Amino acid sequence: MRLFTWTTTAYFYITFCLSLLTTTFASDGATSQEAAQDFFSRHAGPENGSNHTNNWAVLVCSSRYWFNYRHMANALGMYRTVKRLGIPDSNIILMLADDVACNTRNKFPGTVFSNQGRHLDLYGENIEVDYRGYEVTVENFIRVLTGRMDASVPRSKRLLTDDRSNIFVYMTGHGGNEFLKFQDNEEISAFDIADAFEQMWQKKRYNEIFFMVDTCQANTMFSKIYSPNVLATGSSELGENSYSYENDADVGVAVIDTFTHYNLEFMEGINKTSQLTMQDLFNTYSFEKIKSTPGVHSDLFTRPLDRTLITDFFGGVARAELIDENAIVEHTSGPTTDVDEAELARSEDIPLPDILADTKNSATSGRRSSSPGLMKQLRAWCPVAVIGVLATWIVMSR
Amino acid sequence: MNWKDFRLSFSLLVLCRLLLAVTPYVDSLELDHDHQLSSPTNSYVRLQEGIFLYKHDVDPYSGGAFYHSPLYLSLFTTVLPTSRFLCRLVWTLVDALGAWALVGIWRERQTLESSSRDTLIAAAYLFNPYLFLPNLALSTASFENMLQLLALLFACKGRASPALFFASILLHLSLHSVLLLPPFILLLLSSPHSHLVNPKVFIAYRNPKASLSTALSYIGEFLVYSAIMSLCCTTVAGGWGWVEKTWGVVLTLPDLTPNPGLWWYFFTEMFDHFRPFFLMVFSVHLLMYVAPICLKFQHDPLFASFALLGVLGMFKPYLTLADPGLFLSMYALFPETYPYLYHPLVTTLLHLHAALLLPLFHSLWLDQGTGNANFFYASTLVFGMANGAAMVDAIWAGLRIAVGGRQGEDEGEIAVVQE
Repeated sequence: MRLFTWTTTAYFYITFCLSLLTTTFASDGATSQEAAQDFFSRHAGPENGSNHTNNWAVLVCSSRYWFNYRHMANALGMYRTVKRLGIPDSNIILMLADDVACNTRNKFPGTVFSNQGRHLDLYGENIEVDYRGYEVTVENFIRVLTGRMDASVPRSKRLLTDDRSNIFVYMTGHGGNEFLKFQDNEEISAFDIADAFEQMWQKKRYNEIFFMVDTCQANTMFSKIYSPNVLATGSSELGENSYSYENDADVGVAVIDTFTHYNLEFMEGINKTSQLTMQDLFNTYSFEKIKSTPGVHSDLFTRPLDRTLITDFFGGVARAELIDENAIVEHTSGPTTDVDEAELARSEDIPLPDILADTKNSATSGRRSSSPGLMKQLRAWCPVAVIGVLATWIVMSR
Repeated sequence: MNWKDFRLSFSLLVLCRLLLAVTPYVDSLELDHDHQLSSPTNSYVRLQEGIFLYKHDVDPYSGGAFYHSPLYLSLFTTVLPTSRFLCRLVWTLVDALGAWALVGIWRERQTLESSSRDTLIAAAYLFNPYLFLPNLALSTASFENMLQLLALLFACKGRASPALFFASILLHLSLHSVLLLPPFILLLLSSPHSHLVNPKVFIAYRNPKASLSTALSYIGEFLVYSAIMSLCCTTVAGGWGWVEKTWGVVLTLPDLTPNPGLWWYFFTEMFDHFRPFFLMVFSVHLLMYVAPICLKFQHDPLFASFALLGVLGMFKPYLTLADPGLFLSMYALFPETYPYLYHPLVTTLLHLHAALLLPLFHSLWLDQGTGNANFFYASTLVFGMANGAAMVDAIWAGLRIAVGGRQGEDEGEIAVVQE
């Protein structure tokens, strides 16, 4: 029995010493900022890779009434595509008048279709409309974009983007030369949208925006934008109308617009892993198909279109890597940090979440040395060692 | 039967359990998320989360998910592995140790070196579904049961220091084990032998000159060990926050995850201003069983601790199947009471009924959505009734045996040594 207890005690001490030795020579990881930049560049090349970490969508149908069924179907079609490609409901702001599905004139109540023959119900049971009915106003739209809202507005109605968010803004309805009609009541102008985007840029609320408009004379809507990293496309030039695609005989009205129809048709062919680019999408536009001249405004967009993936805007694709478990996270309090500021000038003042910056449980405060690890090991071994010692003492002293 | 035979059969039983633990089918069942097999204070998933947070320099007690003692943090970041496969082996060995302790208790009770019932008792522990299912789910209730049995074993042997030491470690894993301290002290002072047929006033067999001061010295030693372990816990956790999150959790019940116990449903529908009152009522309810059981069974303290384990197995705040499982397995230690059980068939059927209803209604409520919480609550009531029937019957038999006169008394396979 004595031999047994002595061997167990010896085992405890040997394993204790071994673990002390191994942790003394544990290596440290790179600083967190360098690791993040390395991750982004590794996945898509140094200048052409996308820097976004999350995707949002703002889908607006600015018309109401039964005869504007196709605008509702446009927006719901985009909603379905964007959800299918991976953006969750929490990251989508859907603004619809939503008076079509349960309209008394709807022969198929509770449904919205976007093709002749009614093959796919876009309304379904699982859509989340954030602004419906009379809440779809110019003021609410601009408040959503700029984030200037009353504190009582719930989170689901807010655009909670940060400076690494890619946003897809889609607007459809009736429009004209540098304006868009909202709910037959008011108008939003191209200058308002341009100013809203600039506010977002100043407040670091987006990484890149893809702005798509499907109205008459749509290309005028993005002609006034002056903020960087905005890619815009519209369905028709100044002086041109945008046309609807087809009617359904039983629904009785036009069910989809051509520009949106061809965009959705293109999207149906891709999935979350697609490597198709925005250039591929724009190459499918033609006057013969769409019956109007679609326009693309990429002057403000810094990346080349043939390196910009469709899923950068339409999908909720995120790349993830397992980081080195032993990397110590630095917290950026104080002016003397050794962060590479030239590369990440825009994001130097992101505060680390409190949970990672709270180091009151480690012996030192985040400096890159092995003594916190050693102290932690000692503290972890304390009860085991005490139990071992007490157990042997108790057993020995019968 | 000689000693070697039990070793062989015990090894076979443990081997069977090891094989069960490593079968891939068990992985597919996802038992560690099952609410019957582990509760928030026992769950392996939460243990993993706490260990992860601890390893990444985050205080695991600052959030609301981790209610295990810091001793687990220390154990699993140092000597024990955290990978699932190795943990299954460790847990099986823990259960094997518990079974060995149970056999040791039986042998102490009979003062035998070995007996023919040893294998049966080991099997009653190792193959009790209420015990091996939480074990496969890697619930830390297995550790608690093992420590409980080890402490009882050393108390039966009369060795106070190891018994109190294991009891103090157990105190840190489960606060309610402190209720078993009175019968413990009585067991340390008297003998584990079966005195049920001959109820007398408490006689300190081991130490005839024992007095209140001896008992107080035992309590003092227990408190010293607990204080040392508390200091160790504080060193690990880096503060005193662990007290509120481990012991405080079973007193204030912040987490109302469904379990087979009787507390959670009651407190989901509780108005806030009544909450402290009812928490006090439920906790005092547990306290009030200690004195009557110890007084009534002062002649046989092992039976008293068995009865108190039954009470705990019914009324603990975060109950799992492992707690009444320990009570049922310990039933194997008292075969002299079997002829005097009043309704063993009813108890068995109630347990069978509850065992079928609990997973069924849980699934109906949370997986399929066609039922609601009341279904599962009703099945926990049936389970409580089953445990209650088992307890009442055990106490009835423990008292009735003193009157005697039943037929099957001396016709068992083995004559139980009774004094």
